[in-house]
Amino acid sequence: MTTLTLTRARATRRDPDRYKRGVARWVVLALVAFTAALVLVPFAVMLMNAFKSPADYSGNGPLSWPESFQLDGLKTYWTQVRFEGKLLNSIVIAGAVAVLGVVLSLLNAYALGIGRVRGRLWIVAAFLLANMIPQEALIYPLYSMAKATGLYNSRLSVIIIFTVIQSAFGTYLLASVLGTFPKALLEAAALDGAGRWTTLWRVVVPTVRPTLSVLLIFFFIWTWNEFFIPLVMLVDNSTQTVPLALASLQGDRLMDATTTNAGALISLLPTVVFFLIFQRTLTRGVTAGAVK
Amino acid sequence: MRSPRTMISIGAAFVSLALVLAGCGGQGDDAAAENGTGTFKLWHYESANGAMGKAWDKAIEVFQAEHPDVEVEFERKAFEQIQQNASMILASDQAPDLMEYNKGNATAGLLSSKGLLTDLSDEVSSRGWDKMLSPSLQTTARYDEKGVMGSGSWFGVPNYGEYVMVYYNKDLFRQYGVAVPKTLDELTKAMDTFVAKKVTPLGMAGAEYPAGQLYYQLALSKADRSFVDNYQLYKGPVSFDSDPLKYGADTFREWVDKGYVSKQSASLKAEDMGTAFIAGKTPMIVSGSWWHGRFASEIKKFQWGTFLFPGNKLNAGSSGNLWVVPEQSKNKKLAYDFIDITMRPEIQTILGNNGGVPVKADLSKVTDPKNKELIANFEAITSADGLAFYPDWPVPGYYDVLVAGGQSLINGSKNPQQVLTELGKAYEQGVSEIQNG
Repeated sequence: MTTLTLTRARATRRDPDRYKRGVARWVVLALVAFTAALVLVPFAVMLMNAFKSPADYSGNGPLSWPESFQLDGLKTYWTQVRFEGKLLNSIVIAGAVAVLGVVLSLLNAYALGIGRVRGRLWIVAAFLLANMIPQEALIYPLYSMAKATGLYNSRLSVIIIFTVIQSAFGTYLLASVLGTFPKALLEAAALDGAGRWTTLWRVVVPTVRPTLSVLLIFFFIWTWNEFFIPLVMLVDNSTQTVPLALASLQGDRLMDATTTNAGALISLLPTVVFFLIFQRTLTRGVTAGAVK
Repeated sequence: MRSPRTMISIGAAFVSLALVLAGCGGQGDDAAAENGTGTFKLWHYESANGAMGKAWDKAIEVFQAEHPDVEVEFERKAFEQIQQNASMILASDQAPDLMEYNKGNATAGLLSSKGLLTDLSDEVSSRGWDKMLSPSLQTTARYDEKGVMGSGSWFGVPNYGEYVMVYYNKDLFRQYGVAVPKTLDELTKAMDTFVAKKVTPLGMAGAEYPAGQLYYQLALSKADRSFVDNYQLYKGPVSFDSDPLKYGADTFREWVDKGYVSKQSASLKAEDMGTAFIAGKTPMIVSGSWWHGRFASEIKKFQWGTFLFPGNKLNAGSSGNLWVVPEQSKNKKLAYDFIDITMRPEIQTILGNNGGVPVKADLSKVTDPKNKELIANFEAITSADGLAFYPDWPVPGYYDVLVAGGQSLINGSKNPQQVLTELGKAYEQGVSEIQNG
């Protein structure tokens, strides 16, 4: 995802000298196009195999052109895993985590970056730990806590866990962004009689909104793709998310390659749509400066 | 740019939706707990169009007809979820009433030793399931207090079997004038014929289970039951520097040197081996009955068949996965009823007719000749007490050691003696850990 984003950002940036610098620019363009093509190859293979029959796949290999276009894989996948339910679960979980995670990160970062709390370096380091510890090490404590609070096998448990994990990264990032927040703006707000709360919502948030939007999108996509913690926490098929539905196609010793490809295709679409909708915000956020 | 108000309201919408959904989940669970007598929660992870999937769908229908007041809550689970989380799920109140679970010391054995599974011994004898299962099928259903299979109480009931055999491409055999081999000598001669025509006779996949199974299959050709008991059930010492295991590793290496097995196969996966066979590129593969259904539906371009590994009295194979009843099950009686239905001849026949290997088949009701052959071969093995289980079973984590060993044998990075030493070291360490608790 990130590679795609970066290439795009590079390719669409306007430059008045574009046609005047000669060969070098075309070499760069060719390189970018080549990288983009490399990124797209796995998707192309997935797309091709999603429409094959299992016999066609096994007989002619994954790289051949489909003998006939079949929608069976897509249909089987959709009905077998009851995809609409998983989609709703994923949207609710990823959406809630994205919003709550951004709010939590913002409040933390406001205290650390602008409030300049004592020992903030250590606090930020502690937050980063949450991101650095492998999830496998967290899982047993999380499982015991969820069981004790009656949240095991509920979507709320996953929402809480990921809100905390994502906001750990968000706090780290936003704290350093707000650490360089222009003093002039804060002083002006204070002179106008704004309190801390008003300063946060009227001055800080509008200024860093592009960064917040980027965080929101990243949190959404990261949470959407999470596998391990949802796998452990969400037991019932009715509470599970899209990546878990995909995993249910992989058997003990056999795999159903065409259905898996079809499933991957359907499961990828929502994130692509989400990305396309917010793509403008994303590029703007990456290039946004702090002072207007 | 959207106004902060819209962003906040979108956020609020998400959060409230989440809370509503979470609330719903909670209420549903409570309701299930209250009228627990009325629901039967069943989990398995077989695909819907496979032999087990079809047979057990029918079993659910029969169960429903016989228990009209019970609501059946069936869920098809992801294999990986059960594999990774079974102990966590079974220790919580979310456990099902009956579920399919992998057989073996590291899986069903481990759960039984933690007290998470119900002891089924009384039901097994009163409902006569033990009479339907031959001794080597029973081995994987019984576990002692340390979770070692082979003796002790019944913690599972197998519903189907599996075994390793040779699949062959009849068209390629005919093209090169090769007859179906009856002994190991004839098999090597047949492979020589293929090699002389520049065809690699045996499909292989070094990155997964096939290499370990071939090594074990070759060792078994020189082994007797007491070796299997020693190796799998720790009844006596196992020697890694003499036959049969030495023969297994040496012969495997010899087959690579003679070109029976491709040196390039060290990094291939079982799926690659299977699809190469389906594509008609490989004359033979040595692998398990789990491929049978898929080959039957996907091989269209040539004739194929199976034969038992030539000359072997013992073959890698075992009962299939088990029905286990979690200790937390709220409806054990219904679970026993369901197991009983799946053991009936009508359900077992459905299994057999769809390319599965029933534990108790009525061969006269199985119509397809290939399925008949598959089941008849299995009965030939079990009636001679010939199931030898799988090479990676004795020790937790041994699978990875075997895969590494198999890869070294294929690419020649180590000689058979070195490989055996490594296999032996891991084996002895694992066994002593198990025996000392």
